[in-house]
Amino acid sequence: MSVGKYSIILTNTETVPGRTIVEFYGLATGNTVRAKHIGRDIMAGLKNLVGGELTGYSELLQDSRREATERMVEQAKSMGANAVVNMRFATSSVAQGAAELFAYGTAVRVE
Amino acid sequence: MEFQPRAPREGINVSHEHPLKEASILIVGLTMVIGIAAVVLVFFVDLVVTVIPAEAEARALSSWIPDNLDLLSGEKQERVEQLVDRLASHWPECPYTFRVGVFGADQPNALALPGGLILVTTKLLEDVESENELALVLGHEIGHYRDRDHIKIFGRSFALSLLLAVTLGRSSQGLELGTQVTGLAVNSFSREQESKADQVGLALVQAEYGHVADSWKFFERMAAEENDLTRLTTYLSTHPASGDRSQRIRQIAEENGWPLEGPITPWQSSEE
Amino acid sequence: MSSEALFALFFNLGFPLLLLLGTYAIGTAIERKHFRDLLQREAKVRQFPLLTFQSLPANWQANSAAMVTGSVVISIDYFKRFVATLRSIFGGRIKTYEPLLDRARREAVLRMTEEALQMGFDAVINVRVETSRLASARRDGKGTAGVEMLAFGTGIKLLRPESS
Repeated sequence: MSVGKYSIILTNTETVPGRTIVEFYGLATGNTVRAKHIGRDIMAGLKNLVGGELTGYSELLQDSRREATERMVEQAKSMGANAVVNMRFATSSVAQGAAELFAYGTAVRVE
Repeated sequence: MEFQPRAPREGINVSHEHPLKEASILIVGLTMVIGIAAVVLVFFVDLVVTVIPAEAEARALSSWIPDNLDLLSGEKQERVEQLVDRLASHWPECPYTFRVGVFGADQPNALALPGGLILVTTKLLEDVESENELALVLGHEIGHYRDRDHIKIFGRSFALSLLLAVTLGRSSQGLELGTQVTGLAVNSFSREQESKADQVGLALVQAEYGHVADSWKFFERMAAEENDLTRLTTYLSTHPASGDRSQRIRQIAEENGWPLEGPITPWQSSEE
Repeated sequence: MSSEALFALFFNLGFPLLLLLGTYAIGTAIERKHFRDLLQREAKVRQFPLLTFQSLPANWQANSAAMVTGSVVISIDYFKRFVATLRSIFGGRIKTYEPLLDRARREAVLRMTEEALQMGFDAVINVRVETSRLASARRDGKGTAGVEMLAFGTGIKLLRPESS
């Protein structure tokens, strides 16, 4: 029943294309706060001089976003949902050198 | 509804001006704006600052000494102070009571600070070979007080750093650039003032000794130490190159008919 | 004294100038290469439909759906940042930042598209792109570590694909 990287269906649309929502359970959220470590920071500092992709940061943020999403999925599953619809991401810097990644959506049951 | 894949024209979301061109325009523009503002500001500061009477300045700052400055006292300092008093006695309406501070430094130098505080470095006192040489250096500093240069420079650097902070405060690189630009503006003005101070100083030396013999020798020796490379950077330095300077001093003496020969008063002998 | 003065002159003007020109040359080379790479990869996925619609076009039928994402953190070179700070004194369009954002957005969308292709989807609907600035770890808060661009949407498998 799952498609993609997660064990339940996730969409950022209000419906799940090809399926019908039968029940909805409420908000499912997941978040994580990550800081860059010093080694990455030094490398990124050097890369910052000449420009280009900061691969270390790209990967860090991808990992963190996946972690936030996985937590949201866990919340949804604990509510008995098999899908999260209208999902959103948010990023904010809570502290210098740290980023909060937040994922949220509506936990639903689809058939 | 039919999906027909089409690509938008490339490069609509980016400007096509060359970054180097933009950089040059910005740098030249900024230099001009700050340069003009600096010149106008310097003009007004000079005007405003000279409105403060010298007497008021001398009274208000009669015992002022900058913080973090270790001043040496002793026989040498007293002798310099006596020499300053003798020179200043030829400036009858002098509003200042001069004080002399000696501080340790590797470079021979002398400074005129607000309130009549003249600072000389220990290296200067070692390097001068006669009292006449030292007298011209000190006379030159007294000349700065005559023209109120010392307080103008303080006012200018205050006003200019204010200008830079307001315009470039957000960018440390810009601030660096701005400091270079305004530095040039201030320095090109102060070369003129240095020459005028030389003239006053020489007149004081003439009044004290009745001749100006050897007084320029200190600057001549400084010039010999400087090599040709320095000439390239002369424009960027505060003081005029010493070579031209000693020549100009002799020229001033000749124009005024002040004798270039006369008995020399020793300075270093007391220790040797 | 004179060599010191020359050294100081070099240090004050020459070194920053060298740094600016050097980073300009390398940064521009990296930027050109990236744009060439983007054009090539975009041409490859041109047939893949990306839509900002919330739901499917009426005549499309989907049988499965899942979230797809693509993200990238990109910074620009020291020279372009320098020009940008100068520009921010006068105001106006910060031209040197435009290629950065363009590159980041296209790269993120491409990565999302490539992920969707890899997962076997036929289209992505409700595509959204978000930008966020990564705060630098430097205590004075100056110096942008880079911008993060995130593209996401819902990948769908079609029952009867309308386009080949």
